[in-house]
Amino acid sequence: MLRVTIWGDRGSMPTPGPDTALFGGNTACIEVRCGERLIIIDAGSGIRPLGEKLMREDIKKGPISADLFITHTHWDHIMGFPMFTPIYVPGTKLHLRGPVSYEDDSLEKVIGTQLSYRYWPVRQDELAAKIEYEQIKETTIDLGDGIFVTTKYLNHPILCLGYRIEYEGRSFVTVYDTEPFRNVFPTDPADPSYDEYAASEGEEAARDENEKVLRFFSGADLLIHDTQYSAKEYLKNKVGFGHSSYEHAINACHKARVKHLVMFHHDPNRTDAELQELELFYQGKVRGKTSLEIEMAREGRSFTL
Amino acid sequence: MADSDIAHLVREYVRGMPSLPTTVSKVLEVCNNPKTSPIDLDRVIQLDPVLMGRVLKLINSAYYSLGSQVTSLVRAIIMLGVNTVKNLALSSAVLDRVSSKKDFRALNMEGFWRHSLCVGVTAKLIAKQRGIEVKGLEEYFAAGLLHDIGKIPLNTALADEYVRTMSLADRERISLVTAERRGLGMDHSEAGAVVAETWKLTGAIADTVRWHHDLESYSGEYGDVLRTVAVANFFANREGIGFSGNRYPDRASPETYSLLGIEKTMLEDLEVPVNAEIEKAKVFLKLGG
Repeated sequence: MLRVTIWGDRGSMPTPGPDTALFGGNTACIEVRCGERLIIIDAGSGIRPLGEKLMREDIKKGPISADLFITHTHWDHIMGFPMFTPIYVPGTKLHLRGPVSYEDDSLEKVIGTQLSYRYWPVRQDELAAKIEYEQIKETTIDLGDGIFVTTKYLNHPILCLGYRIEYEGRSFVTVYDTEPFRNVFPTDPADPSYDEYAASEGEEAARDENEKVLRFFSGADLLIHDTQYSAKEYLKNKVGFGHSSYEHAINACHKARVKHLVMFHHDPNRTDAELQELELFYQGKVRGKTSLEIEMAREGRSFTL
Repeated sequence: MADSDIAHLVREYVRGMPSLPTTVSKVLEVCNNPKTSPIDLDRVIQLDPVLMGRVLKLINSAYYSLGSQVTSLVRAIIMLGVNTVKNLALSSAVLDRVSSKKDFRALNMEGFWRHSLCVGVTAKLIAKQRGIEVKGLEEYFAAGLLHDIGKIPLNTALADEYVRTMSLADRERISLVTAERRGLGMDHSEAGAVVAETWKLTGAIADTVRWHHDLESYSGEYGDVLRTVAVANFFANREGIGFSGNRYPDRASPETYSLLGIEKTMLEDLEVPVNAEIEKAKVFLKLGG
């Protein structure tokens, strides 16, 4: 059985308070159970309550062992790591994987720097857990026990990976943080920096990359997709921020024959009331037009595939 | 010095080969500017043969493992984003600040750069006039820009020997490549092959670097690019646009022109557009002069 639970779905920054109690204010963290195996995607602030649950329930069965995949190293996706209690418990085993953009620092340093005295009272080398860091690219990883994880580069200001987890014939995919690839070169011949080659090659490259992303999540049973903005907001002044619109995610999922779309990475300014309204609006829009099921991500919501 | 020592020195040098400093400050400026447009980035990298080779090498390295070979910077910028490509260029440029003008002894760095750019631009214009599709034009440009890359290790790692080699060419009125073979036992196309191999350059670029002085022996699939670059190279040397140390260049054979389906007179028509392209690049890089 493949079971997915959302522990954090907010974008950019935790947003506690009465206006976000329903959909949640923690940043990205997703728990995935494939049989007995524990996979965690992202270590945003949502990993803190997940850690507490593991300490309450799982630890009784023995030391915690997990595969932690980081989509990218922007702060909202790693900020919860120092508060993930199992890292302070002897016997915990973590295999932490993620991408790093071109720079000299390793994944271990990028994430572990948070555990230095200037930011946190405990240093990285004082942690009791055994943590193995692995920098990954576009690849397929055989995790054993019939679990396969495939990765895909997405379109975000730093290298960011989508994850596709396959287990017992079921598939769960994450596609965030990302926005559609687009031609960033001028296509208007009147533009002073117009270049014929760049314009046509740019169009083709953007189209190819978007098709690759569609193929990556094609036929997924459950897909968590970046939807920080509405199409109107996106086009107004958010192009290039690395986040998608509801409209884009819904259309792409319909096209790729995804069964269930969960709209994720809520903008920090979005209140519960607004999210409820948007959820009803988009559900109404697609009703009767597609077999795709859609909903807003809610903290604590679980899906059994 | 024995030929094997020369080959060893060249290999050692290529391993840590620097970018051309002329463009480094521009790269830094463009990359440090948060408002850099993709087209600025594309241009500044393209204009520096060493940097362009290194950036493409990094993009195609196991570091990004992108599945298929990426040969265009435009595509790389769309796939990896402006920031990543900026960082790649910046890192390469910063690493290379250790090199300086004093490394260029026999050859003048600025003259060499201008020659390379002229050959790239001319090759692209010839290809365009011959009706090569837009998508393929950049390959002609890149091959032209990089064709003499092998002169950098010779000029730097074997500076004294290279000064003597250039004197030999001048004294005996022979082409530089002939003088290199005689004086060094290794010519710049062979040294270029070492660079191409080290940087894992393949296809038309690698073949042009290796065979542009040896068209008759070439049997690969990029003969068209190779011949175009050979004609462009002759044009650049004849017109004296930039200087690559070759005062007595070998002429392109009549067969080369006929295989390309062009007349020699076509070159006359290229002078104006080539100079215009180089002027544009000069303004962009604030080279002046």
